[in-house]
Amino acid sequence: MSDLLEIKGLSVSFRTAQGEVESVRDVSLSLRPGEVLAIVGESGCGKSVLCRSVMKLLPKNGWIKGGAILADGVDITHYTQRDMERLRGRLFSMVFQDPLTALNPTMTVGAQIAEAVLVHQPGMKRAARRRRVLELMDLVGIPGGEERYGRYPHDFSGGMRQRAVMAIALASNPKILFADEPTTALDVTIQAQILDLLRDIQRKLGTAAVLVTHDLGVVARAADRVAVMYAGKIVETGTVEDIFYDPRHPYTWGLLRSLPAWAKDGEPLYTIPGMPPSLLHPPKGDAFACRNEYALAIDYQEAPPMFRISDTHYAATWLLDERAPKITPPMGGGFHG
Amino acid sequence: MSRKNPFFYYGGKVLSFVLSVFLLSLAAFYVARLAPGDPLVSYYGERAEKMTVQEREQAEARLGLDQPIYVQYIRWLENALQGDFGISYKYKMDVLKVIASRLPNTLILGGTGLTLIFLGALALGAVCAWNEGNWLDRSICKAGTVVSCIPEFWLSLVLILVFAVSLRWLPSSGAYAIGGGGFADRAVHLVLPLVVTTAGHLWYYAYMIRNKLLEEIRADYVLLAKSKGLSRRAVLFRHCLRGVLPTYLSLMAISVPHILGGTYIVEAVFSYPGIGTLSYESARYQDYNLLMLLCVLSGGLVILCNILAQIVSERIDPRMRGGEPPEVTDHG
Amino acid sequence: MDDILLDVQGLTHCYRLDRRRTLRAVDDVSFQMHRGEIFGLVGESGSGKSTVARCVMSILHPTAGKIRYLGVNICDPGQFKSHRELLQTSRQMIFQDSTSSLDPRMTVEEIIAEPLVIHRVRSPRGSLRAEAEFQLKCVGMDPGCLDRYPGELSGGQRQRVAIARALSMGPELLVADEPIASLDVSIQAQIINLFKHLQREHGFTFLFIAHDLAVVRYLCDRVGVMFQGKLVEVGPAQEVFARPQHPYTQALLSAIPIPDPRRERARVVQSFDAKQFHREGALYEVSPGHLVLGEGGGV
Repeated sequence: MSDLLEIKGLSVSFRTAQGEVESVRDVSLSLRPGEVLAIVGESGCGKSVLCRSVMKLLPKNGWIKGGAILADGVDITHYTQRDMERLRGRLFSMVFQDPLTALNPTMTVGAQIAEAVLVHQPGMKRAARRRRVLELMDLVGIPGGEERYGRYPHDFSGGMRQRAVMAIALASNPKILFADEPTTALDVTIQAQILDLLRDIQRKLGTAAVLVTHDLGVVARAADRVAVMYAGKIVETGTVEDIFYDPRHPYTWGLLRSLPAWAKDGEPLYTIPGMPPSLLHPPKGDAFACRNEYALAIDYQEAPPMFRISDTHYAATWLLDERAPKITPPMGGGFHG
Repeated sequence: MSRKNPFFYYGGKVLSFVLSVFLLSLAAFYVARLAPGDPLVSYYGERAEKMTVQEREQAEARLGLDQPIYVQYIRWLENALQGDFGISYKYKMDVLKVIASRLPNTLILGGTGLTLIFLGALALGAVCAWNEGNWLDRSICKAGTVVSCIPEFWLSLVLILVFAVSLRWLPSSGAYAIGGGGFADRAVHLVLPLVVTTAGHLWYYAYMIRNKLLEEIRADYVLLAKSKGLSRRAVLFRHCLRGVLPTYLSLMAISVPHILGGTYIVEAVFSYPGIGTLSYESARYQDYNLLMLLCVLSGGLVILCNILAQIVSERIDPRMRGGEPPEVTDHG
Repeated sequence: MDDILLDVQGLTHCYRLDRRRTLRAVDDVSFQMHRGEIFGLVGESGSGKSTVARCVMSILHPTAGKIRYLGVNICDPGQFKSHRELLQTSRQMIFQDSTSSLDPRMTVEEIIAEPLVIHRVRSPRGSLRAEAEFQLKCVGMDPGCLDRYPGELSGGQRQRVAIARALSMGPELLVADEPIASLDVSIQAQIINLFKHLQREHGFTFLFIAHDLAVVRYLCDRVGVMFQGKLVEVGPAQEVFARPQHPYTQALLSAIPIPDPRRERARVVQSFDAKQFHREGALYEVSPGHLVLGEGGGV
């Protein structure tokens, strides 16, 4: 099966008063039809920027510095905004963290969904449009569509707003759905519902999804494949089983170990020492080296390449080099917590 | 609980309007009487100064000026409620007639000016926001700031010098030529006052529109609108402008009196026979009845515009409306 | 009885929405906090947990009920006045968003020393700077940060500064309203460890407001669960997490995500129908210290 989305060596930078910030550095990724790929990382690691640069929704001071983006086999790296308008909504669309700010507060929810329907089917009759909107509301699980059609976003609860945003995103049957922290702003009891809805839609419509999150619980529930990002780079990628049961990168270990869910009573939580580096002047070598208790001398000299562990599992750490000392990973082989 | 009863809603607005106008008239009445000056001069002219004490008292009694102020006010209010606002001391005729003869001139100037400012600012602001940061936006911003800093009276004089005195293209004063009064004649007389009125205010509003639009463009919902495939133009006009309009409309409504106030200066410079020149005269000559009506009229206009502004913003922005509280639970 | 630091009895707080409607944000909530414990208050957004925190801090005045802090009824204006100094110094609050709760134009030193200056308290460590340095070390930060501005610090560092400021008055009770919600996973762990350290080594008492149940389970000694303004269950954290009694608590606990794909996917989220929620009734004891809202007897 060919890849729906292929990112090759993508670099994205931002112009700031202090200088150039390299938010995404040489990232390669692929997304297959119908799969859910999770991009995990801490804030500022470039995961949201990655999504927005694919959709060309970067703010004015950001630009694609290098690499290529192939969407559905077409190179869209140099597409203009006008070219992108034809792709957005139809090929890919997006769901955001805070559904309250993502919806226009001055338009009814029905009108906002109808607008999304209309963009790619301009000739659609009023009645047919309304039917389609109600169908979409039903698809994303908004009950009482007829009644809620004319309501404003502030009349909706958080979960219902997020469902409305999903209805908008799905209006033109996109092939790829980018979901940027779709559950972070929601209550715990709603989070699982939204994630299950995402999986449900992906199964029903065959939509592939890129799920950006910092929450490993979200990843565990909804993802097929995972890419772990740190300081603008992908440090490990694999199936969800690879990442949770056989993680290979020290950063992935650190992320998993610091979760309170796995803490033993009475013991302090594991913490990754230090802070992520500034991307204004990214460090030489492996960006994680100075926080890595397993760091090797070469980590400070040269950035590690992606080492292949299996057909699905890759990690960028020198520990996987055959010359590296063998260490027992602190994680992996399943949890017994 | 459903929406508020419209009867009570508008009833409340009307009541607050009436109350405000009443308080305003009371204050204006007192302040005017307490101000120094002699109203008899405006009625009798030179003659007032040669009057004996007895004659003065008789004259004052005739005009009702000998009573305590509150009695004068009650009498004024009684008459006013029956539509009788008294006579102008200076023009010796019903103040309503005096104002009626001037009002259309001001309405034409102010109304056209307001429309020009409203639409011009919207267009200019949108152009700037669309071209944010490039040469066009930057030059419009710079030019706008410079123009809005020029004092109105100075600009008026320069324009008169250039277009009326040197080039003789346009008339320098008045609302119409003597014996004229046709549409073309009036329009020609309007050009210079209009340019001055508009130039003074346009940029203030255009700049506000520009910045508000840019603020909206950076809002999250614009990302969603773009990601569903809307074009940049659709996003700007259908989404962003919608977010800006309520604030803009209510600001415009509040500033109607402000812009009309600006026309007072313009009227004075161009000797344009409008309400502005009239107000100035009435205050200067202690023409109490005329002054009162002008005060109540322009004050009432301010209050009315404020109430309208409130209604407009409540109508357009659904969040400002009273309604049901949002749903609390979410298990469905 | 002596070790009860805070005693909340029948706390009710109503917000006025408009002339005719009020929102009962907190409805007849009662609980006690013992000296030296971390008490977690959990619930969804809008459940009233932040309002409880604000009433405890006297930021909001309760509509009804009593809050006794160190034996002083803080809802009584007379008693509040006569103990003002004690109440204002020994209760401190830490907010969720340290970006907005720290003044961007003040240096770290000024921020930490500000409460001392306001209350004209002489620092036990000599100068204000020495005090600020001591507190900064106490929260695990390098004293080199003293002259920096909040804008130059990372989110985790800013939260530490906010904690240091709260500590500078030598408080007994720290009220933390979602203190880690806006931090990254690895930074969250650092702050959680810091809280635990402050409790163990320095004996501070915490009222910890959170929505992340995994954190609450790890950090708190006792926990209270709120729903629509009511406290539905309260008890030792171990006990509540192991044997939740109220249907809402059960639903809430079933919603905790598990960072393990196989178990997470097998997890069934129980739903709780708000229409079936009985607001009436009182807390009754199911086991020592473990109270549940209900009409007495079985649930």
